[in-house]
Amino acid sequence: MTADADHLVRPAERRLPAWPTIDKSLWLPIAVVLGLIAFFSFATDSFATMRNFTAVSGQAGALLIVCLGGTFVILMGSIDLSVGAIVLFVAAASVQILNNTAIGGAVFFAAAGIGAALGLINGLIYAFGRIPSFVATLGTLSIFSGLALQILQGRAIQFDLPGFEEIAIGQLIPRLPNIALCALVAWAAVVFVARRTRFGRYMYLIGGGETVARTAGVPVRRYKVYAFTLAGLLTGVGAILMVARLGAAGPSIGQELLLNSLAAIVVGGTSLAGGVGGPHRTLIGVLIIAIIDNGLNLMGVTQYSQMIVKGAVVIAAVLVSRERIFSAVVK
Amino acid sequence: MSDRTALQRPSPVFEAQALSKSYGPNRVLDDVGFVVPRNKVVTFVGENGAGKSTLFNILSGVAAPDSGVMRLHGATYAPTDYGAAASLGVSRVFQEQSLILNVPVYENLLLGQDARFARAGQFLDRKAMIAVAEAIVEEAGVDVDVRRRTGDYDFSKRQSIEIARACLAGLHLGLVTQPFVLLDEPTSALDRRDEEAFFRLVARIKTRGSLLFVSHRLTEVLALSDLIYVLKDGRLVAELEPANTTESELHGLMVGRERAADFYYERRQRVIAKGAEPVLSAVGLYQPGAFEPIDLVVRKGEVVGIGGLLDSGKSALGKAVAGVDPPAAGEVALNGGSAGAPDIGRFVRQGLGYVPAERLAEGMIASASVAWNVSLASGGDLFSNALGLWRRGREVETTERYVRSLAIRSAAANVRASRLSGGNQQKAVLARWLCRNPSVLVLDNPTRGVDAGAKEEIYRLIRELAETGVGVLLITDELLELIGLSNRILILQRGRLVAEVPAPADAKPTEREIVALMLPQSDRPDLPTGAASPSTSSPARETIP
Repeated sequence: MTADADHLVRPAERRLPAWPTIDKSLWLPIAVVLGLIAFFSFATDSFATMRNFTAVSGQAGALLIVCLGGTFVILMGSIDLSVGAIVLFVAAASVQILNNTAIGGAVFFAAAGIGAALGLINGLIYAFGRIPSFVATLGTLSIFSGLALQILQGRAIQFDLPGFEEIAIGQLIPRLPNIALCALVAWAAVVFVARRTRFGRYMYLIGGGETVARTAGVPVRRYKVYAFTLAGLLTGVGAILMVARLGAAGPSIGQELLLNSLAAIVVGGTSLAGGVGGPHRTLIGVLIIAIIDNGLNLMGVTQYSQMIVKGAVVIAAVLVSRERIFSAVVK
Repeated sequence: MSDRTALQRPSPVFEAQALSKSYGPNRVLDDVGFVVPRNKVVTFVGENGAGKSTLFNILSGVAAPDSGVMRLHGATYAPTDYGAAASLGVSRVFQEQSLILNVPVYENLLLGQDARFARAGQFLDRKAMIAVAEAIVEEAGVDVDVRRRTGDYDFSKRQSIEIARACLAGLHLGLVTQPFVLLDEPTSALDRRDEEAFFRLVARIKTRGSLLFVSHRLTEVLALSDLIYVLKDGRLVAELEPANTTESELHGLMVGRERAADFYYERRQRVIAKGAEPVLSAVGLYQPGAFEPIDLVVRKGEVVGIGGLLDSGKSALGKAVAGVDPPAAGEVALNGGSAGAPDIGRFVRQGLGYVPAERLAEGMIASASVAWNVSLASGGDLFSNALGLWRRGREVETTERYVRSLAIRSAAANVRASRLSGGNQQKAVLARWLCRNPSVLVLDNPTRGVDAGAKEEIYRLIRELAETGVGVLLITDELLELIGLSNRILILQRGRLVAEVPAPADAKPTEREIVALMLPQSDRPDLPTGAASPSTSSPARETIP
């Protein structure tokens, strides 16, 4: 409160870079990553090994791809609760396509297309139905899951395309699984989109002041649809890489993704209120969540306790970010 | 009262001394002191922004004064919220209705008094509640069934219910012996029959307590009040008895400021020929609930002012013309092109710019930089290329050009907009449109919350734009600005275009004339200029039927 009053009296004193670069609010998540690495290195013998590095980067890769699209959605001030359901649906559909057609490796593009179509549905319902995004995607969460479970008939289905798993677990760069490499390439592309394109700028503007943007003639609804479609597309890509990595699609795929992706985005420093943060930060958020997951596993902490820890991390991240980020966001 | 001696004269019901209140740099109430005598109807009049609402907020505990003392029945009165004010016998009818629509009328009439009707702990004695509620509506002369759902009644009846509650609920429950009722523009929503009932209720309440009004309807004010206070720019400028004054005198007191012609660059105002090329022509714009079908034309280089009270619908008209809130019906053509339904996205590409009144909610993104705010409307053309890549160099260069030419004191393009003063923020919003070389600008209160220096710069800018041929639709609550800047003034009353007043540089209408046109004439809505308005040597005025 006092900080706010302060800048009213002394305008133009504190300056911001035109683009959010490495500033104070980015140091905190980085410090957390380093702290976690140090902690788990001491607490377990197996954490600081190359084998574990490969494992962590494989887990983090899938999460990162899924989070990249979600970051735009959150940056825009909306939320996509159906991310896990999209993964489940795309995984189920892809396995069936693989097993029943001669599509082969091109299933990768089919998966991306199905994801984009599901995202488009989310976006259309949200933007043109004028339904809050959390309600719209809560509905599609149930619809997509239900459809996917019908496709799978409630059981896991393996695919029979020898060598397909290489796109995820192969190592073009030694020790770095391809899934993580894909994720890093996608991350770089998305960061470029956020910083250097009209689409990226509009995401920040809509999140920072939707009414202001609309009043100035920005086609807000169209860009909302674009954002959800892009989120669906990237989620579809993430889903097919997960399927390749696991060798199958089962009813539980994508189950933890909603919490994990939301946690990673928020922990990275993108504000749930919109307009602040960006995909460049999400990389760090994903690292934090993946390291916590991996480290707790190695320490033998049960799955249930891990859920408790992650829930607390999300809440803590929002609490902390309220102090860090600009508080007078016009929403 | 006449039979008492001066020494025994009862203390006034309410007394205020030296009340002052500021919001940021704006002093909205300045050293206001007054008394409300026992058994009287006292009315405050003043134009938009004179401080009436703030005064009511302070009296009803909604806002606290920065300084000053209030006394109620002789005791110090400093309510912390409306509940505290109500418990001391001060009740208020808010301009926006505060009834709950999906409950019966009697529950609204006795809202918050449930505890008094509790029987055996938790059960409400509905019979007793209904009996009290019936007594209230009967005394108020409001013809409603208290058992029916509140939402079943129309706006006028609901307003009557609200007035009845404010005036009588405390009395009937024995909580208050001398009610002090604040009524903000109480009759504007009442139909003829409810209005008559209201007048009778006022006469009854007067015998037991006192009433304080705020109203724009001067005919009514003169008929109902025992004492009239005139507020102007937050100061109390006159205390009058209705017998000794006229509507015309009140108009004069409410305004009557000196207009410095230089401040508005009136000498630079050009004469616009009737046949000059229109840059904006609107036909049949209609928004139910906001304004009735309206046609208007803005010509090349012309400043067309739109004036009216807060409920006149002028801001809604501005949003409709610009296509920000597309109207239910009507078409707008820009620059002589084909007419179509207004759409802000298309209009921006065709050279229209819109500056909203609510800068923080609609005008600028506080969390973004000055440059981002300047480039906001031009992301689709000026600041991105065919591939959708953002042109950051051009964005910064353009912003810096306007930072210099408009003297936006922000030091750099990358400063966060929230760190700028109101005037500099508004200049950045204007720069957003200037960089597009617009042909039409719709400006809604462009100098609201702006300091005097920046105001003058904005006035000069508007004049310069007009000189280069830009057509400006200027919607404003500031009378002097409306008169000083406009070539032509349109007056709206409750969504109806009631008058068009030419305002050439050498024959500007007076504030008094404009105010007389803006205020509703009680019972004579068909005569917008009314008997009260002084038709002196003023310029010829066209009234619109």
